[in-house]
Amino acid sequence: MAIHSINSINPGLLSPSLSKKQITPSDATENFSQILSKTIDEVNRAQIQSDRMTEKLVRGENVDLHQVMIASQKASITLQTTMEVRNKVVEAYQEIMRMPM
Amino acid sequence: MKLFSNTFTNLERGLDYASINQKVISQNIANVDTPNYKAKEVEFKTVLDHSINQLEAKRTDSRHFTFQSSDTHPEVKTKTDYQYNHNGNGVDLDKEMSEMAENQIYFNALSDRINGKFNSLKSVIRGGK
Amino acid sequence: MSIFTSMNTTSSALTAQRLRMDVISSNMANVDSTRATVNENGEWEPYRRKSVVMEPKEAGFSTFLNTAINRRGNHSIGQGVKVSKIQEDENTPFKMVYDPEHPDANADGYVQLPNVDPLREMVDLISATRSYEANVTVFNANKSMLMKSLEIGK
Repeated sequence: MAIHSINSINPGLLSPSLSKKQITPSDATENFSQILSKTIDEVNRAQIQSDRMTEKLVRGENVDLHQVMIASQKASITLQTTMEVRNKVVEAYQEIMRMPM
Repeated sequence: MKLFSNTFTNLERGLDYASINQKVISQNIANVDTPNYKAKEVEFKTVLDHSINQLEAKRTDSRHFTFQSSDTHPEVKTKTDYQYNHNGNGVDLDKEMSEMAENQIYFNALSDRINGKFNSLKSVIRGGK
Repeated sequence: MSIFTSMNTTSSALTAQRLRMDVISSNMANVDSTRATVNENGEWEPYRRKSVVMEPKEAGFSTFLNTAINRRGNHSIGQGVKVSKIQEDENTPFKMVYDPEHPDANADGYVQLPNVDPLREMVDLISATRSYEANVTVFNANKSMLMKSLEIGK
């Protein structure tokens, strides 16, 4: 009966559920920047939509007044939300920078 | 992350319905003395199932044509349960007036609701200040 | 079709009803006019009762084109009502009244008077007034709806 030496286990043979994927800081930054750019895109789209509806209203084209008002409200609220989030993020950053080393 | 819940979409569709209904009722009442005119109505369900004017052509160049879905309303139908008087006119003035009052109240209610929701969102964003 | 479509519809109805009232008042004013027009024989003919013919004002060519292209929706809403013509009433005969002293009496002493029936004109006038008032109510309702939608988000 031969005694085999212990081989190290190949991590790839382990089932995927057992191997934890480590999230590196660069990954986290990438995810966050993706979310940020998506949100800014959304804000931009809302503003453009509201502008388009307002232009249609001015030209007297096929649009309802309540649609214009609702679109403008949505754009304004989206913008306000993003501004508040930005303020909070900047505040958090400043808080961290103020921490004594 | 959806900032505006489904309620907003439904409220918008309800407002669209009220707006079209108002136009149709105006047309009916305007033609209350026209011979051989049959009253029109708006199908509630069709409007609520899909919103209007949402068909936009995907263009690869800005010089391409868009779809013009301007004046067609698939949910506007001719009423089928009318009685008509001696000159063939099928508009019941009292019914149209009461429908218009109903529509007004419906529109006001939805408008107030959507206003309330916008205001609560705004106060949340402002942080209660 | 702008936000004011409904108001334009209603105002076209108001115009049509007002025109109808004008025609009715013309009829009532001329209830005794024996010398309205000269016919082919060179004789005076009395005033013939006029009436309006109304028809719905459908939207123009572009709407039909769009309906054909999109192949959905068999109705556009329409743009109101218009008076297509003012026609004279050829069917009812003139009234014949015996009055030999009248300058327009014929050989038998009968005068042809216009075929205007005041009772019928009054009923028409009431109907036109009722339609006019209904349309004014519709206009006010439209206006209040637009003002309400302006307040969304205030």
